[in-house]
Amino acid sequence: MSAFRHTLMGRLLADPLAVFAMAIIALLVVSALLADVIAPHDPSAMNLADRFASPSATYWMGTDNLGRDTFSRLLQGGRIALYVALTAVSIAGLIGLILGMLAGFGPRWLDNALLFFFDTLRAYPTIILALALAALMPRGLGTVIIVVVITSFAEYGRVVRTQTLSLKNAEFILAERAMGASFARIVFHHILPNVLGPFFILAAMNLPVVITIEAGMSFLGIGVPPGTPSWGATLKDGFDYIRTTPWILLSGGLPLILATLGFTFLGEALRDQLDPRLRKTR
Amino acid sequence: MTNDISKRLFPTTTRRQLLAGAAALGTASLFPVVAWADGGRLNVRAYLEPDDYDPLDASGFLEELLYGCIYRKLIQYVPGDQWDWQLDLAESIEQSSPTTIAFTLKPGQMWSDGFGEITAEDVKFSLERHMVDENNSRIRPDLGTFTHVEVTGTHSGIIHMERPFAPIWTIALPYLAGTIICKEAVEAAGGKITTAIPPAVCGPYRVVEHRLGERWVLERNPDFSGEPADFERVDLVVIVDESAAEIAKEAGDVDFTSIGPASVARLGDNPPDGSRLQVHPALFYHWVGLNVQNPKFADERVRMAIMHAIDVPSIVQAAFFDVAEPATGIIAPGLIGHRPETIIPPQADFARARALLDEAGIDRLEINIDVLNTVIHTTAAQVMQATMAQAGIDLSISVHESGSFWSLGVAADGERWQDLELTIKRFSMTPDPYYATAWFVTEQIGDWNWEQFSNEEFDRLHDEALSETDPAQRDEMYRRMQDLMEESGGYRFITHGVTANLFADSIVPATRPDGLPLVQFFRRA
Repeated sequence: MSAFRHTLMGRLLADPLAVFAMAIIALLVVSALLADVIAPHDPSAMNLADRFASPSATYWMGTDNLGRDTFSRLLQGGRIALYVALTAVSIAGLIGLILGMLAGFGPRWLDNALLFFFDTLRAYPTIILALALAALMPRGLGTVIIVVVITSFAEYGRVVRTQTLSLKNAEFILAERAMGASFARIVFHHILPNVLGPFFILAAMNLPVVITIEAGMSFLGIGVPPGTPSWGATLKDGFDYIRTTPWILLSGGLPLILATLGFTFLGEALRDQLDPRLRKTR
Repeated sequence: MTNDISKRLFPTTTRRQLLAGAAALGTASLFPVVAWADGGRLNVRAYLEPDDYDPLDASGFLEELLYGCIYRKLIQYVPGDQWDWQLDLAESIEQSSPTTIAFTLKPGQMWSDGFGEITAEDVKFSLERHMVDENNSRIRPDLGTFTHVEVTGTHSGIIHMERPFAPIWTIALPYLAGTIICKEAVEAAGGKITTAIPPAVCGPYRVVEHRLGERWVLERNPDFSGEPADFERVDLVVIVDESAAEIAKEAGDVDFTSIGPASVARLGDNPPDGSRLQVHPALFYHWVGLNVQNPKFADERVRMAIMHAIDVPSIVQAAFFDVAEPATGIIAPGLIGHRPETIIPPQADFARARALLDEAGIDRLEINIDVLNTVIHTTAAQVMQATMAQAGIDLSISVHESGSFWSLGVAADGERWQDLELTIKRFSMTPDPYYATAWFVTEQIGDWNWEQFSNEEFDRLHDEALSETDPAQRDEMYRRMQDLMEESGGYRFITHGVTANLFADSIVPATRPDGLPLVQFFRRA
């Protein structure tokens, strides 16, 4: 028991902010996974007789302009949001991890070239890039994921490169080299474990950003196709009819707020626990 | 201390001066109202942005909104509830024979910017350039059988037609194709008006600034030869989304805008304070088009299955909030050629659709629909998606912004036009049925005829009807043409919709009978 308290999970569970964050995330994940079971209505079922219904025992969050149950659509939308977020962050993170370590550990010219590449991508406004890519590619989740990956992997690359550079000439690495350790051993046994901490913090912090990008693209009509239940599409529907049925917009915003809070708090808690400087000050 | 501050702030102010100052401030606050009454500024919402000021590139009412302010025609529509025309540049104009129209221009009508008087040569140049193939005029069909203008004097001429052309008085002359531009200025500009500001105008307003994607700023044209415009300045404010336009109206950013069916249903008889709402039956036609040349739809049973699976009343209810009626064709009630009913009932028949697919040996049919990113058309597509699934048809929806959407079916803009499947579109309309059918003849394939509908009888009837002068006969011909369209399995007619205008009660708008604004005739209340 005492040993568990010193593990990362043990330390997180001792942090009220982390517990709150994990509870929110668990709620979102479970509701998304069990959306088909929990949803009281078919999220795509149109019922024009009941459109714009107020929140009630039948429709917990009311209905939209086609009489579809908003709560059921938000549950399904959560599945899409988490799928896009986890997939995009994983791919972007992996690309960033590889390129970042190459930049940090490779020759100077490669570092300079990759750095230039990272900074060019980071300088480009996300939404403009998303609009440009969406115009060239077919609409769908794949496009959303590609947009997010392209706009975010450079950030991981930057962080990983910085960490790698700081470790590259550390004494224990030099000692390993002097003893004839292979490149792979140095990277996988020493560099990688040390960059994973900041990497996961960044990933956790980025998840709500990705969810917001997906919602934003769907809101602008360049995300998931119409009819697909997504948080952004619900926000768009709510915006179109905000004067008569504000609850659609409010309902669509609620899971976004929860997801943002949950992942941001988790990221902060992870940072507190994984960054030795911050741990000493607590 | 207090006295010191007071003295510093109002070093020489007495109580009487303070009262006088307050009175002056109060009076000054009235100045905006006085300024409005003395000339005023009008802000009108434009739903899209024309490419340029050249009628060759015009496509519909979005250009007419601007052109009507800066250019003139021989005759113009009369604002009001009846379709009629009035003299504009013409002092007199009459049908001198079935194929000729003689006109005389009012003398002393001037072009702006020193381009002199408007002459019959300008009329000849303006109309004939639409007939030149190299000019690629998109509104050439508006001119029908027109061939040329014979100039008989500085102010007089004769319009010649190959054959009688019934719509010349209702479409060709008072609408886009009848727009008169300055020959000398256009030729000096290289034959096309692509300049940031038109080189010469003759309408009641002139363009002083175009802020791309935002607005046109027009000012009263000092060279205008008619009765001066009522407003000193008119801004045509580009707001694509109708909800946003309504918010802009309520915020006072625009004085006149059309609003969507959802708002009509919500506002009803209670428009916001200081505003009025007018609802007009529209001539537009919304329809679901199917590319009949797409190999996926080669089997007529598949096309008919799709048509039977589209539930028009549901679309009208969901997207148009029941403020409009299902359409029976492309020609609205009250016009020659309006059909009382469709061949395929507006209500979907899922069992029939399913049976047709079974006969065609199709279990599940996956198709795509391309729509413009408007609330109405995306809602309509979603209704179709939900209902067509009952017949075993999986509909995916592709939404496009305006520029991308309107190039989908155009051959000159790429290869996509051949692969189109379904689309939802809305076309504007004039009070003659010729204007409706002109876009669906064979030669329009690759331009406006996205369904790639090609029917010899249709083409022949269209050609004959434009010269037919017996209204009863024309009525019969246009009804038959719509039957042919529907029988092809390429068209499911949705509605003509309504045009609802929300405007400040400080203005008196002027509209055509279908509710579209004639800004050049707007007045202050």
